[in-house]
Amino acid sequence: MSHGIGVDISFFLLAALAVYTGWRVFCTDSMVRASFFLLLSFIAVGAIMILLTAEYLGVAMFFMMAVEMMVMALFMVMFMMNPAGLNPMKMVHQERAAIVAGVIAFTVLSAVAVFSGFPDAPLPAKHAPVVSLGLEMLGDSMLIFESAAIVLLATMIGVVVLSSHRGRYGAADVGSMPPGLAPDGEPAGQPQNEDEDDDEGGGHAHHH
Amino acid sequence: MIWRELILPVIVVLAALGIGAYVVAVLDRLIAGTLGMPQTGSAWQAPLARGAWLLTQTANATEAPDWRAWRLAPALYLALAATGLAVVPWSETLVATDLATSVVLWGSVEALATVVIFLHGWSANALFALIGAYRYVALGLSYILVSMFVLIGVALPAESLQFTQVVVSQAELWNVIRQPLGLPLLLIVGLGMTFWGPLNLADSADLAGGTASEVSGPPRLVWDLARAAMLVAFSGVAASAFLGGWLGPWLPGPLWLVLKMLAVLAMLLLLGRLLPRLPPERCVILMWVVLLPLAFVDLVWAGAAAL
Repeated sequence: MSHGIGVDISFFLLAALAVYTGWRVFCTDSMVRASFFLLLSFIAVGAIMILLTAEYLGVAMFFMMAVEMMVMALFMVMFMMNPAGLNPMKMVHQERAAIVAGVIAFTVLSAVAVFSGFPDAPLPAKHAPVVSLGLEMLGDSMLIFESAAIVLLATMIGVVVLSSHRGRYGAADVGSMPPGLAPDGEPAGQPQNEDEDDDEGGGHAHHH
Repeated sequence: MIWRELILPVIVVLAALGIGAYVVAVLDRLIAGTLGMPQTGSAWQAPLARGAWLLTQTANATEAPDWRAWRLAPALYLALAATGLAVVPWSETLVATDLATSVVLWGSVEALATVVIFLHGWSANALFALIGAYRYVALGLSYILVSMFVLIGVALPAESLQFTQVVVSQAELWNVIRQPLGLPLLLIVGLGMTFWGPLNLADSADLAGGTASEVSGPPRLVWDLARAAMLVAFSGVAASAFLGGWLGPWLPGPLWLVLKMLAVLAMLLLLGRLLPRLPPERCVILMWVVLLPLAFVDLVWAGAAAL
């Protein structure tokens, strides 16, 4: 298959962008920035997929990753108690293990790319990427995709059920209260109860 | 070759972007004037005067913003509007990007807009801008879902994810009649995504301007321009998906599309002036409890009709 020089130039620029932004993910000091650098990296990969005439998968990468990274950034900020995400924070942990795993993964994937023999199949004359993908997903491979979808959904529900039982202040089915601000104090952040006011001496009533 | 594939599409998109944004500003002022709201100056000159004024102002600086993201966000939003306009077919042959998955590309424009709007508010490092940003994320996710089901609905009769095919499939009957729920839902999403009128919750007055509260000068001009341009892109997509795009008797195709886009814009801007405002919490409830089920109904309707 012949292609213009524009495709080659685009490929190298996009590949460089994907690698550079992927590297920046590990250098930045903010969760929001890290998420969006990762998004840029994925967008560059999606554009490369479009160059490879996988038009649907490439464009799907854009919207899937946009929503995914947005939700990921939001949840990270929510769970990490760093409301804005603009405060600098250390974004890497267990560096030694991560570096070893990264080098091994890079070597293996590069070896696969360099040493495996790729088929030299030219594009069919009437290449319809969307139609062929749809027929593949809802044809012979339907059972695989549908079972994978159900397994993923069951996993998500299971994770929520298992992890939401134990809350920050105790088990969910017991009825949990936050600890007091002072030792053995009233639960913090609870609305004032009428009865408790009376028990504590009813400060307001005595003034009359 | 290079004229047809590179220069002409760029000119078409830039012209639609620039002229369209100006038309939005003028139409909005004309509609406000017709509804009896106080006006200063001529509706035709006021947008230009405001643009020129913004251009001469200094760009505001906050304490320790994320400069790159803050300055890039308005430009990126404008670029997304341009991407949206690039997939709108002006005639059978005059399309800037006739991608086989242009409907999905428009869906990604909506998804990426959420990221860009969030970034615009987040990177200012200011309270109201940040609240506006988080507010838009909550709302934007609901808009995207509604819009996605509506757009799958128009792809069904066309049996294609290409806007040109979607338009061709409406030769017999426009989608606005075939799927009556689709266009109203898409218009509401359009108002939400450009936070226009009643759905202006990200840049709203109760947040002193929201994500744009700290932005002045040229970046503010780009941001306002981008919002208007996104509304134009929305009108182009709505006209192609539901009003038969370039199809129509007597007049040439591009002119038909312009007329339909103007009609959609007038409708959107009128709705923007007439509908009451909702608090953001109730807006999210409305999106998930009312509009999303309606979008499901629209999709089932479209599927049943296509069968």
